[in-house]
Amino acid sequence: MQDPSRSLTLCPLGAEDCPLCAEVRRLQEEFGHLQELVNTDPLTGLFNRRHLMNALDQEMERTRRTGLPTGLIMLDLDYFKRVNDTYGHPAGDEALKWTTGLWRDNLRRIDIPCRYGGEEFSIILPGTRLSVAVKVAKRLQIVLQNSPLLLLGQQVTLTASFGVDTFTSIEELSVRAFIKRTDHYLLEAKVKGRNQVCYQKPEPAKQTPEVTVDERAALSGMSAAPEKGATCKKRTSVRD
Amino acid sequence: MAVEIAPKSPKPLMACLSSGKGGVGKTSLTVNLAFALAQKGLRVLVVDGDLGLANVDVLLGLQVKTNIRNIMDLEADPMEAVVYVEPGLGILPAGSGVPDMANLGPEDHRQLGEILRSIAGNFDIVLVDTAAGIGASVLWFNTLVDYNILVLTPDPTAMTDAYALIKVLSRDYHRKRFHLLVNQVKNDQEGRQVYDHLAKVASHFLNLNLVYLGAVPRDEAVSKGVRSQAPFIKVSPQSKAAQAVSRHAEFFLNRIAQRSGGQKKVGEAGG
Repeated sequence: MQDPSRSLTLCPLGAEDCPLCAEVRRLQEEFGHLQELVNTDPLTGLFNRRHLMNALDQEMERTRRTGLPTGLIMLDLDYFKRVNDTYGHPAGDEALKWTTGLWRDNLRRIDIPCRYGGEEFSIILPGTRLSVAVKVAKRLQIVLQNSPLLLLGQQVTLTASFGVDTFTSIEELSVRAFIKRTDHYLLEAKVKGRNQVCYQKPEPAKQTPEVTVDERAALSGMSAAPEKGATCKKRTSVRD
Repeated sequence: MAVEIAPKSPKPLMACLSSGKGGVGKTSLTVNLAFALAQKGLRVLVVDGDLGLANVDVLLGLQVKTNIRNIMDLEADPMEAVVYVEPGLGILPAGSGVPDMANLGPEDHRQLGEILRSIAGNFDIVLVDTAAGIGASVLWFNTLVDYNILVLTPDPTAMTDAYALIKVLSRDYHRKRFHLLVNQVKNDQEGRQVYDHLAKVASHFLNLNLVYLGAVPRDEAVSKGVRSQAPFIKVSPQSKAAQAVSRHAEFFLNRIAQRSGGQKKVGEAGG
């Protein structure tokens, strides 16, 4: 298929140096650049919150269609205000940029890291199960705490708190509700003392979790089963 | 290519045989039931719904050339995947050993549903042999069919697992009618006891009336059939298990006869 943007830059009259086409090309490039700016956080170069909302919406729709879960990590740098207060805001900005580099180096190409605001970041993990998303978060946590940075000649170790969650095709959830749910685990990580990863712990595997203790007892014949309405309802006859 | 015979009825009867617990003889019963129905003159399709670890083909020693996975990927004619073991008995093999078949997404389920419906029209009855457990594919197959048949043995864990499947299907998928087929019983009385017990619990806790389809006795002919990769109903037609399965096949014959307003002639044992 012909590239539509290219067809616009070819002069319909066949002129080699058509000034109008040159202008169209310039505008197209500028448009592309602006589009990038609209979705990019100027300080860190990561995607911004606007892009997060759009991309998460798309990935959740993909989950609904393919059944592959979408992972989400919300993370917040611990005690970042102290960095700003101690070393000044320019140093704080440097620290944010440096941290962003760590995220980039330790994520897969398909992952979508975004700056949610301030020192809070969101990372969309397309097609990722909870256990894998948790592993990714733990990797980022360890990398950060093991990589001190130099601020005004001093070594500073940063840490972060992480909330991890996944969206699966069986649940109904909006983008905002998904972010809020994940944020809840981030808050939990903060409350529990920071520099850790919190997420929904799966129920311990039981043999048949669907069957309650009472039902199990009735089935195994230990309890005389039903007291209430002890007589079975009129049983459907054989081969009804 | 599509089968030459025109469909007798537009909508075939569809039944799912599930168990909750593995190893209760579900696949063996499905296959033998299919043979019994084919012997009675019905056009039968067995769908191997054990998508991750299909074994109907193994049980029958079939050489499978293509499978559901190939149809879904290559959009081939679904009828090409049907292997005929007898003129009136087709098997639709799943992707044996293809792990991703067990993890189908909603889109795949839609496509698989369309494939099944397009094939089913060529048959009088479709029997789906699902995987064990209460995984997504088991639940999905069970929502597609007219009859949900639970295969279990007198073993307490088989009863609990069958109950768990009934509970999930009724609670989350609004299925209300379940037929029990009790396998590997000492005698008919034991089958009846197992049914009575489970029916009582299901009535009390789930407000459901379970239906007793019948029992199949424990029989050396069954394991002999599995070993020789041939259905016991053919190898040992006089065995107790074969006779029981043949009796249960009549249940479906009657249902199909009722559906077609009693006008349809289905085999010599029908009615």
